Amino acid sequence: MRALLISLYPDRWRARYGEEFAAVLEERALGPFDVADIVLGALDAQLRLRGVGMQPEPRKGFTMSLRIGGLAAVIGAPLWTSGFMIANGVAGNVDVRIAGAMIVVGSVALLVALAGLSAFQARTQPVLSWAAFTLPAIGTIALVADAIRVASGRDVTDLFYFGLLTFFLGSLLFAIATYRTGVLSRRAAILLGLGPLMALAGGNGDGLPEVLILAGLVSFGLAWVVLGVLAIRADRPTTALGRT
Amino acid sequence: MTSNLPSFGRFAEPSLLILVSLSNGPKHGYAIMQDVESGTGRPMGAGTLYAALVRLEQEGLVEALAPVDRRRPYRLSAVGASTLAEHLRGLSKFAQQGLRQLGEPQP
Repeated sequence: MRALLISLYPDRWRARYGEEFAAVLEERALGPFDVADIVLGALDAQLRLRGVGMQPEPRKGFTMSLRIGGLAAVIGAPLWTSGFMIANGVAGNVDVRIAGAMIVVGSVALLVALAGLSAFQARTQPVLSWAAFTLPAIGTIALVADAIRVASGRDVTDLFYFGLLTFFLGSLLFAIATYRTGVLSRRAAILLGLGPLMALAGGNGDGLPEVLILAGLVSFGLAWVVLGVLAIRADRPTTALGRT
Repeated sequence: MTSNLPSFGRFAEPSLLILVSLSNGPKHGYAIMQDVESGTGRPMGAGTLYAALVRLEQEGLVEALAPVDRRRPYRLSAVGASTLAEHLRGLSKFAQQGLRQLGEPQP
């Protein structure tokens, strides 16, 4: 994977920095955060080289950060959770295509959150961190496929439930990795882990099981928002102050 | 002559952190990442590190040294040191002004 990531950079860049960059990448396990950061770094290098000979746009640049992951969590979790509730008729007779769109957008945002918030977890829990990201990534493909079907007037299929299940499982694994690493907040990690467990324990029944599902969804959504806010706070910019 | 860190756009922040890290001696890339992360508690990915290093080197704020075992150390240049000092003085002045206005004791 390291060789593949380095190959994304331009030839000229690799000639100058490739060897030392490879040495840096070999120092520790790479998680979703690192891969996203390197891909964005390669994009930055490609764009900068295309600007050689012309005045480069100084503001162009892409980084992966806790802040981006945090914003994605704060936006994605409410969308995803609300979409799920709407799809299950909690909000009355709302067009299921709207629910599908909310879940898809929320899923993509939560994937960004999983990548952005997993920087430290991946160093000590690489397998857990990658599983936490990969399962929902596969689930997002399933959710997009089913949303397209629903948008064309067809019924929801098992792909939808598979997609939801992957997000629950991925979030549970992320919660475990976060708790074990002791970053952001252990309490929020517990809340995030309990959410999927409650929702899955509720099954698809009425009465108490339905309350469990709702409680699980609220716990899931709230935990992601809390983790997102903590990440944004932890990654406050300092150079915005006192610019000379 | 000093360079303007904010012209680095999104890489102004990582660039400042790298300059501070190098202010107490040359370091190779991974050592810079570790130093920044232990000092700030925030992760710095290798992609961000090298995007910032490329900009810093092109502006003459850091200098690359000969590699040792594939690891290449960087050091702060004279221009880099004065740019860093100017920037930190600006931040310090701003912080003191804010604390004064809040009625808080200043360090």
